[in-house]
Amino acid sequence: MEDLIVSMGQGAAILFNPDTLFITILYMIGGLLLGMFVGALPGLTTLTAMAILLPIVFFLEPIFGIPFLLGIYKGGIYGGSIPAILVSMPGTGAAVATTFDGPALTRQGKGRKALEMALFSSVVGDFSSDIFTIFAIVPIALIALKIGPPELGAVLFLSLIVISATGSGAFVKGLLVMALGLFIAMIGQDPIGALSRFTFGIFELRSGISLLPMLIGLFALSELLLNIEKKASAYMDANLKTREGERLTWPEFRACGRTIMRSTIIGTSIGIIPGVGQVVAAFVGYAAAKNASKHPEKFGKGELEGVAAAEAANNAVNGPTLVPMLTFGIPGDNITAILLGAFIAVGMRPGPQLMAEQGPQVFAILLAMVLANVLFLVVGYLSIPLFARVVRIPKSLLMPLTIIFAFAGVFAVRNNPTDLYVLGVFGAIGYLLRKYHFDVAPLAMAFILGPEIERSVSQTISLSKGDIVGYILFDRPITVAILVLTPIIAWYLWRRSTKLRRENLHITTQEK
Amino acid sequence: MRMNLMKIVSATALILGLSVGGAIAQNYPNKPITLILPLGAGGSHDLNSRVFTSIIPKYLDQAMIVKLMPGASGQTGTAAAATAPADGYTLLFSHNYFDQLQQHVKDLPYDTTKDFVTVARLNSARFCLIVLANSPHKTINGLLDFGRANPGKLEFAHSGQWGAGMVPGARLLQWAKVDANMTPYRGGGPSLRALLAGDADFTVQLPSTISGQGDTVRTLACVKDEPVVGSPPTFKSIGFPSELGEMHRIIMAPRGIPADRLAVLREAFVKMQEDKTYKRMMKRLGEDTNLMDGAEYEKLRPIQSETYKTLVESMTKG
Repeated sequence: MEDLIVSMGQGAAILFNPDTLFITILYMIGGLLLGMFVGALPGLTTLTAMAILLPIVFFLEPIFGIPFLLGIYKGGIYGGSIPAILVSMPGTGAAVATTFDGPALTRQGKGRKALEMALFSSVVGDFSSDIFTIFAIVPIALIALKIGPPELGAVLFLSLIVISATGSGAFVKGLLVMALGLFIAMIGQDPIGALSRFTFGIFELRSGISLLPMLIGLFALSELLLNIEKKASAYMDANLKTREGERLTWPEFRACGRTIMRSTIIGTSIGIIPGVGQVVAAFVGYAAAKNASKHPEKFGKGELEGVAAAEAANNAVNGPTLVPMLTFGIPGDNITAILLGAFIAVGMRPGPQLMAEQGPQVFAILLAMVLANVLFLVVGYLSIPLFARVVRIPKSLLMPLTIIFAFAGVFAVRNNPTDLYVLGVFGAIGYLLRKYHFDVAPLAMAFILGPEIERSVSQTISLSKGDIVGYILFDRPITVAILVLTPIIAWYLWRRSTKLRRENLHITTQEK
Repeated sequence: MRMNLMKIVSATALILGLSVGGAIAQNYPNKPITLILPLGAGGSHDLNSRVFTSIIPKYLDQAMIVKLMPGASGQTGTAAAATAPADGYTLLFSHNYFDQLQQHVKDLPYDTTKDFVTVARLNSARFCLIVLANSPHKTINGLLDFGRANPGKLEFAHSGQWGAGMVPGARLLQWAKVDANMTPYRGGGPSLRALLAGDADFTVQLPSTISGQGDTVRTLACVKDEPVVGSPPTFKSIGFPSELGEMHRIIMAPRGIPADRLAVLREAFVKMQEDKTYKRMMKRLGEDTNLMDGAEYEKLRPIQSETYKTLVESMTKG
């Protein structure tokens, strides 16, 4: 422990060296702006931007290059929530939960409030989880190592239950849509043996349905279709064209304090478990906030707390996600894989040796992440007025523009024409489902988690060598604990939601 | 009169355009070359391609643009490259398992051998077999003997079905007549985690990954002598008859490419080997710069195909 504190002090000395600090900050601001830009534009992804710019890092000092990449990473996550809030277009799975309340707020003329709430809760979530990571790097690493396929499968199954039980609309409808999502996820190759399923001999289907066109179709395109039916005045308040939108007030932010803290804890805990990630964190954070709220019926209709819950949670994942990469050299996702490449290129080979041999450098980079959050607060705050202007674009222009961006963006990601069909088909599916009051979120969620659950269950079966019950019961105590907890949590959530519905029903009948 | 003038002007423009076009066509390449990767962002092919595509313009006088087309275990990108015009402006950056193994396990819409010719083998990544440092298996022969005596007991964590981390291990087990339990993970990282957590008895990893693990793991055997991981025996030294465990990163062109253009490309890759920046960047990435000329690599492809065919047949029989 003492060694760690000494390393931390030396790390701070490296980062805050007056000769280099200014340049580090400049690189970081550059990365943040770039990340925000690529995150906000559909078709450009943070991942691609980082891959393309990686060679630059080879020629830079570690203390400039790595913070530059970290800036792109952090800016990109927030960038993705900008189109989610303004035009209901999630650029990544992590921004899906933000579309529940963000666009509704924009229509009420509170787009700017929503953007600011997203920024502040993102920064709080990220900042707290980074600080926690710095102090708890060793225990996080030990826990991460304990999470194998059986544990991961159980956690993902629990997440799926939590999300379906707290979705909007009827529970049964949620389950039906979730089953549809699980089925759609099976199209393509199975995650274990890579055999083709449900492809009907069509080559284009062999790679499965790709996530981004599906998300944009399901959320953005269906939203547009629904709005085309309405009159212009019902879509957006005409007076908005003259107003920039009001700023977030301190009492409004204070009111979400508990929610942000709760989501930060949820996000950080999920970040510790490798392979779960931002998508689940955002959904679970949102579900928990809705569940704890005194007026859950307002969620999904333009509730600032909903934006705060999702954004704090998905950003709080960032800190702990880096730990397995730093301590074992095992990247948790594609972005950490690129960071791993960058670390190796600047002469820091992640693994158990890294902390012992280059502890100060590691802490310098971890502290740079904390600094990036502070910088981002400033950079983000100054750029919000620019994005908030989108609400002033007249509907007659904004809607065609959104359609153009949706199609162009989807095509640009992989240059694959099939993705355009996927976008169209899921736009129609989303429209029909929402028209008949089905919540589309469980579909997206099941689609994202389905293959992961299938993979971990298959791996568990392989690991058990034929005796699956005995294996889990005697060799996997953590899995047993999660599996026992799942029905209890599900029962609690179900009881709460039926109770709330009955109360609401009671109120509405009284009003009559 | 005016009509005539228009005709003359347009005809002149057309002729000029054609002749200029013709002149440039001989001067290949005269526009950027697209390099299709049938793999996703962040993997080792992606990182390698970022390095060499930033250097190769110096030797081709044209940019090389990376286009990631992942999906269906490499089939999406490979199919796109196979159907692209064979004019030397579309290349494929693949590896030997997509190139020669996949055809034996899947029904592919293309024939890699007939559809592609090798420009160059950029480099190779060579695998080692590792166990935990506290494992009872001290040597490679000890591990294999234990496996033979206890069928189905050994747990092999690998990086994915028919992938670069699986095939070397599977071939070794097949040759040594060991029946082990194989569990696929999503890439090299998760299979390493399985070993470190004690979920697996052994795994197959790259030396660059192993060296970061310090003394937590023990290397039992490698393809060639790998000084970075101590001095473990090679697979050959325990009697394994042929080449094992090398992943070749290959740059391919559609088969119909004109011979002069193929020569231009091959020469550019050979020349790049002397580039100091290229060498330095690859070294920093922990990758080799052991180029093999395209013509020479062509000879390896039929041998690989035979080897993989035998492996697949023996594994899918039971």
